[in-house]
Amino acid sequence: MVSVKSSISFVTPPSEPSTFANCPSPEAESSIEAPPERQSENSSQELPSESPPEVSLAKELQIFFSTFITIFLAELGDKTQVTTLLMSAESHAPWVVFAGAGAALVATSLLGVLVGHWLSKRVSQRTLEVAAAMMLLTVSLLLVWDVVQA
Amino acid sequence: MDWHLLGLSFATVFLSELGDKSQLAAIALSGSGKSLRAIFLGASAALLLASFLGVILGEGASQLLPTEWVKTIAAIGFAGIAIKLLWFGEQEAESEQT
Repeated sequence: MVSVKSSISFVTPPSEPSTFANCPSPEAESSIEAPPERQSENSSQELPSESPPEVSLAKELQIFFSTFITIFLAELGDKTQVTTLLMSAESHAPWVVFAGAGAALVATSLLGVLVGHWLSKRVSQRTLEVAAAMMLLTVSLLLVWDVVQA
Repeated sequence: MDWHLLGLSFATVFLSELGDKSQLAAIALSGSGKSLRAIFLGASAALLLASFLGVILGEGASQLLPTEWVKTIAAIGFAGIAIKLLWFGEQEAESEQT
């Protein structure tokens, strides 16, 4: 920004009485420069496709159940479940513990999904698939490690 | 309503789950998958049901379900998805290039 206002250019504008400034002149309503717009050209304008490509309901259900089953099995007997179990046993208020734990789990999975979505916009699809596969393999190795340690 | 207990359970579970296996899995699945909604709902439902079982069954959960087998099955499931991504994803990438 190089715009420096010189104080010399400050010229007092002609101070006219503003009482009549807003009075519309009769020639301002000339309709010469306003031809009737064609509506037909605007109707064929394509909407910006921001939404992701449509996924069929069957595919969505398949994704839902594969996610559900794998994460459910992975979480069974995990430390979170042990934590909620112990807390509900100690406090004798299982529903309060369930509400807190459930809200926390929904929040963490929402965070995870958002991080994944954020990554998918920045990394190419193929790189992300390989990275996701590596992460899933790591998760399965962690699970196997849990089994071996127990 | 015991707000102290609610906050305590929320904070404990939230901190212990941050960066844990299931969140890693959610990141990986949503990065590769097509439907964010399905993955979010699936992950949430699975986690809710798991903690629900933890609350309901109490200490009986570990005796009712052999966790070794369950975890082994889950490990096989994740490995299967990973192999599917590596294998079929490559085929899709090749078919897109041609």
